[in-house]
Amino acid sequence: MLRYILIRLATALPTLLGMSFVAFAIVSLAPGDPVMQELRAMGVVPRPEDIAAIKAEYGLDKPFLPRYFDWLGRALRFEFGESIATGRSVMDEIGIHLPSTLALAVSSFIGAVTISLGLGVAAISAGRWTRAGLRGLTIALVSVPSFWLALLLIYAFVLQLGWMRLVGNGSAADLILPALTLSLGAGASLGRVVYERIRSEMCEDHVRLAIAKGLSPASILVGHIAPRIIGPLATAWANTFGALLGGAVIVESIFGWPGLGQLILQAIAQRDFPVIQAYLVFMGLGFFITSLLADIIVILFDPQLRREVNHE
Amino acid sequence: MFKMTLAGRLATAALLALPMVATSIQAETSLTVAVKRDRYSIDEQKFTFTTRRPAAQIVETAVKPDENFLPSPLLFQSWDYADGTYSITLQEGVTFSDGTTFNADTAIAALRLYDQGRSDFLQIDQESFEKTGDMSFDFRSETGSALVIENMTHRATSFFSTMTNRAENPVGTGPYLFESYEPKQQLTVVRNPDYWGEAPTVDRLTFRFIADDNARLLALQNGEIDVIDEVTPQMLLSMPQDGSVVLHESRPIRYVALLANLNGSAPFDIAQDYKVREALAWAIDRETIASILFAGRGVPAKGILPGWMFNLGDDHTDGFGYDPVKAGALLDEAGWVMGADGTREKDGRKMSLRLVAAYPNVSTVKPMPEMLEQMFAAIGIDIDLVEVDDSGVYGSTYLDTGEADLYMEFASNNNTDPTYLLNNLFTTTTPWGGYKFTAPGPHVDALLAEARVAQTREEVIDKVRAAHRAIVQDDLAAIPILMVPNFTLSRPGIEVPMSEYADWIDYGRVTVAD
Repeated sequence: MLRYILIRLATALPTLLGMSFVAFAIVSLAPGDPVMQELRAMGVVPRPEDIAAIKAEYGLDKPFLPRYFDWLGRALRFEFGESIATGRSVMDEIGIHLPSTLALAVSSFIGAVTISLGLGVAAISAGRWTRAGLRGLTIALVSVPSFWLALLLIYAFVLQLGWMRLVGNGSAADLILPALTLSLGAGASLGRVVYERIRSEMCEDHVRLAIAKGLSPASILVGHIAPRIIGPLATAWANTFGALLGGAVIVESIFGWPGLGQLILQAIAQRDFPVIQAYLVFMGLGFFITSLLADIIVILFDPQLRREVNHE
Repeated sequence: MFKMTLAGRLATAALLALPMVATSIQAETSLTVAVKRDRYSIDEQKFTFTTRRPAAQIVETAVKPDENFLPSPLLFQSWDYADGTYSITLQEGVTFSDGTTFNADTAIAALRLYDQGRSDFLQIDQESFEKTGDMSFDFRSETGSALVIENMTHRATSFFSTMTNRAENPVGTGPYLFESYEPKQQLTVVRNPDYWGEAPTVDRLTFRFIADDNARLLALQNGEIDVIDEVTPQMLLSMPQDGSVVLHESRPIRYVALLANLNGSAPFDIAQDYKVREALAWAIDRETIASILFAGRGVPAKGILPGWMFNLGDDHTDGFGYDPVKAGALLDEAGWVMGADGTREKDGRKMSLRLVAAYPNVSTVKPMPEMLEQMFAAIGIDIDLVEVDDSGVYGSTYLDTGEADLYMEFASNNNTDPTYLLNNLFTTTTPWGGYKFTAPGPHVDALLAEARVAQTREEVIDKVRAAHRAIVQDDLAAIPILMVPNFTLSRPGIEVPMSEYADWIDYGRVTVAD
């Protein structure tokens, strides 16, 4: 297994390198000059030598490739420079906002998994009309954009019922609505996967045998179906978690949640290149790590794959 | 006989004392202001980034703009300018909040900080400081400018104490003290009990950073914030009309105008013909646009600088009415004849103009671009409408390259230097690259250059008036559309002392009804 993980890490190096290049290129080649943009917004008349000095300070005066290799060398040491907008080191910025994003992603993920299992299992055991209703609900939740769902929840729970506040201070209670917003959509999407996997397993001989033996539905689900579907579900969970880490930008913005989403939105608006580049790299790393974990889980739960990996 | 137990007596005493406690609780007034972006910086070098709205409560400028944007005393009690030398007398009885006395030495030290910044737009000759008394000193401008005091009304020129690290603990002479800062969440300041001037009415000011427009409005309706500082036209459109949200407005200050590409290469050279620009100006129904956008609070514009500003007056520009027939006739005169498909043509070339609506972003002027497209279509002009919600893309892709005929901008002269806006947007020597395409030419360059070195304010304003007239009337480098106030929103019962300059809205003097 260790060998497999090492090989997997080694094969990921070109991908990570490519990802770093794309992250750097997207930001560097994007239109917009952060220096001029900020100076104009602040109502400052810059002298050409001032502009040149600021560009030199951030290395914006060098050609693209030397800049990339300089940046890559520092990025390997997790030194992404200073934020143009705030003056803090980029790692400090990420350190300030990452815990909030992780808290939101983890709680949304737990919510999504819970909802998906609930929806999937309910759809399997429900009658025809209830199943149709659940299918409609799932389609609606998957189709509704997260910002609209957020506004709907705000209207219901904040404005009408008054149970929650809209702009909190990052406390656990303030996490409920943004986490619910994210987990409803993600949970509905995962619920379809759960439903399909259970249905497909129910056609297998070992499940038919268990039914014939008179085992209870719960025992069949836990003892016979769950071990077989956990691998494919883990892959879906990993993708979902990665998406929740990087995709909460709009929801964070609406709820004023002080996570990486807020950071990146402002960084994009201000062309804060070092922050945007570091964010893209971290999100890429996040996806890589979660997909690696999913692969390991798949192997651990699939005896055939486990044997293959161990014999390699 | 009625007898009370000890517990009963204590309960009664507590009950009687309750109003007193309540009174003392009510004595502290606090105000939460929602702002869109966290502009706070911890970088010592980024002088301009540290002094915007929240931090501006902690530090003060040398002078502040009066109602006509003329400098009035604040930390400078008086000033005089003669033969290139500024003579300053400082306000007596001022101390920094760390106890340091504000005098000639500390004021000069604070002004010297600007030389460390990379955007030294005061352009003071740093070698010229000469102390002439405990509370007075002289200095010179390194460019011979007579507008240094005007530039000091900009919030970015606030005076920090040099005794502390202003990035971590900004210390100034202002009415508030820095209390706490949570990045991207909030910044809180509390009343400075030793403030030298008139004490503010609000004890605690919290600036909440809420990026989303809808969220700011909903938070206001939900009573979680008291005032919204940055109001977009969309918020005005979706503002509830039941009295739960109150709109406050200043005099019109921001302009919406079409800047014409006067120096572009084909195919972006059609607007170089004055008759075409004049036709565009007459084809705009400003009254209709004003009634639809900005909650109907905008007014048809005759220029891009409001008449009240700097005492410019309104009579130096004539403006343009709505006359599509005249617009059509002007295009006929220019040789653009109506084609069979309703679009004008000249020498086989269709009259198609690219209009870019992007600064500061298209959402701030929606749906004006579409309205203009229809108005111009009515006189036979095909509009290639480009809407960009990102000023960076706008600058790099369309402005710096000159690849458009018309640029719609929603901006203001956000500086009390009268030459600031015109010099940056309409001179061939502009430091903001792309605006060389909107520069009318040497005559406007000369007027603004003369204004920048003029030695009396009257002379400066005369030159600015002439340049403004050239830009919005005689050369039509800018086709004025609307002048728009600065807005804030609040919950009912709050009175916001509005300023045309958003950085000068004095939230410490907001009054809250009981």
